[in-house]
Amino acid sequence: MQQRISEQCAEQYGRFLAGLSLAGCAVLLLTMLVICADVFLRNVRIVPGLLGVPWANEVTEYALYLITMLTAPWLLRQGQHIRIDVLLRAIPRRLAWYCEWAVDLIALACCVTIAFYGVKAVLSSHAIDGMVVKVLSIPEWWLLAPLPVAFMLLAIEILFRMQRLHAAVRGPRTDAVSAA
Amino acid sequence: MTWQTAAWLLLGGSTALMFLGLPVAFAFLAINLIGAAIFLGGDAGMMQLARNSVQSVTSFALTPIPLFILMGEVLFHTGLAVKVIDGVERLIRDVPGRLAVIAVVAGTVFSAISGSTIATTAMLGSLMLPVMLARGYHPTIATGPIMAIGAVDMLIPPSALTVLLGSLSGISISKLLVGGIVPGLILSAIFIAYIVMRVRYEPALAPKTDFDEYHGWRRFQPFFQYVLPLVSIFVVVVGAMIVGWATPTECAALGAFATIVLAFLYRSLSIKNLIQSLRGTAGISGMILFIIVGATTFSQILSFSGASNGLAQLLTGMGLPPLAVIAGMMLLLIFLGVFVEQVSMMMITLPIFMPVVQQMGVDLVWFGVMFLICMQLGLLMPPHGLLLMTMKGVAPPQVTMLHIFRAVMPFLLISIVVLVLVFFAPGVATWLPNLIG
Repeated sequence: MQQRISEQCAEQYGRFLAGLSLAGCAVLLLTMLVICADVFLRNVRIVPGLLGVPWANEVTEYALYLITMLTAPWLLRQGQHIRIDVLLRAIPRRLAWYCEWAVDLIALACCVTIAFYGVKAVLSSHAIDGMVVKVLSIPEWWLLAPLPVAFMLLAIEILFRMQRLHAAVRGPRTDAVSAA
Repeated sequence: MTWQTAAWLLLGGSTALMFLGLPVAFAFLAINLIGAAIFLGGDAGMMQLARNSVQSVTSFALTPIPLFILMGEVLFHTGLAVKVIDGVERLIRDVPGRLAVIAVVAGTVFSAISGSTIATTAMLGSLMLPVMLARGYHPTIATGPIMAIGAVDMLIPPSALTVLLGSLSGISISKLLVGGIVPGLILSAIFIAYIVMRVRYEPALAPKTDFDEYHGWRRFQPFFQYVLPLVSIFVVVVGAMIVGWATPTECAALGAFATIVLAFLYRSLSIKNLIQSLRGTAGISGMILFIIVGATTFSQILSFSGASNGLAQLLTGMGLPPLAVIAGMMLLLIFLGVFVEQVSMMMITLPIFMPVVQQMGVDLVWFGVMFLICMQLGLLMPPHGLLLMTMKGVAPPQVTMLHIFRAVMPFLLISIVVLVLVFFAPGVATWLPNLIG
């Protein structure tokens, strides 16, 4: 019973992460359209007095950061964060399984620590009304806030990974081992 | 703490964690936390680390990465890539190893419209490999050219990894993208020459088969209908960059937009395959960008601890001539390529290599293009090369990993020959970028 509930939780959480990745896709598509609109309006003066989209570059930068934070937890669920498994494949399977535990614990500690200091950075920026002033002026904490959220989501996913590791055959995982 | 201890802690620690199986991004993050605690001043350093992580990916220079990948993904998922192959196939008459030659030519054309090496190899592998095997081609002559040309994709713009290299090293992204064109085309030409000679010497590798020969307009129709309009995207993307009308980011956005519009006009675009393309893009670029989150701060801490400077001074103080130092760097990159994938290779080596290269005053574009060729070698290097795995993923079960390893060897050697050529004749890499000034 308890196992079924936790499996359902993991499945629902996976759907939530997939939803976030779809939001990342939407941000990507919008970014492309904003840059194209900027180039078009800069070169073809169809709207009098409008010379491009002045905030396009800035918003594009923020979009890239958002895409990264929105997709990172989903990529962990998909096993798409690349790693080097040459050693894990060479050592006995049971030892590799223990290494996987060590790896998960280190990753969990990292995520929780970064989320903690991320929250501290958000609060301190909010307290001093820190602003990022470029073409747009936005409170700095808006920019910082997605970071601790993403790392918190990553930490939760690592807990589900540990659960899957516990239930799996004693051996290394089959995560991605290379990049584009 | 001495710079030597810092170097051991940061470089040794991150390498050890990576080999333990920790995802590359997390390995950098873990060492960053230790580095921030020691070198950036405890609590304040940790908060600075969070800020740096945000700043690392809010960078306009990195924007072409997802957009170039999107171009390749759209072509792959909408099936337009098949039309490119058809267009090229009708143009090529009877030559030894005809289908393998077609794979190289179609792959070169596809490289010019795709910024993703995986998309190129997966597309050619899933479409051309079954045909070649069915016509009696030996798995080594069927798989080798496809993997090799997939790697050439990285040299011929648009290329996501080239943008990343330019952004991280400070080398002009436009010049680096243009600098890859000539070595990429030379590689393609040598691959074709090798296939033709090999099959002429050993005809059993690729039996001569009948093919539909088209005449007149029917022969050129798919070329004019599909290949030419798609290649015109390459002309627009690279042309606009060369003449300075648009930045690499803007060119990438226009290229991705033009690809989607063309797919729509050819009635190949659907909501389903657009989402598939966007998901594929978000997956690859999200993974690369998340490594950058960790690795950018890693380079900063490495520099702050004095390790980067110490290592650079150690290398330049050895009294070796610049060419010997560069050759040593290339050998190290080739060696790393056996174990480590491309993004990590850049992240580990660039913070140490770039200060040395700049101090020696060598041409940065020349160095960058050689760096790209070394990464291209890494894509093909057994046992972990990405394209070997991609090929195994799309190949039928009768193609074994041993076939794939054997198939890629001649193409690896050819790539090393081209690396040596660029090393001794820098003009191969710098002539075209110098034209754009």
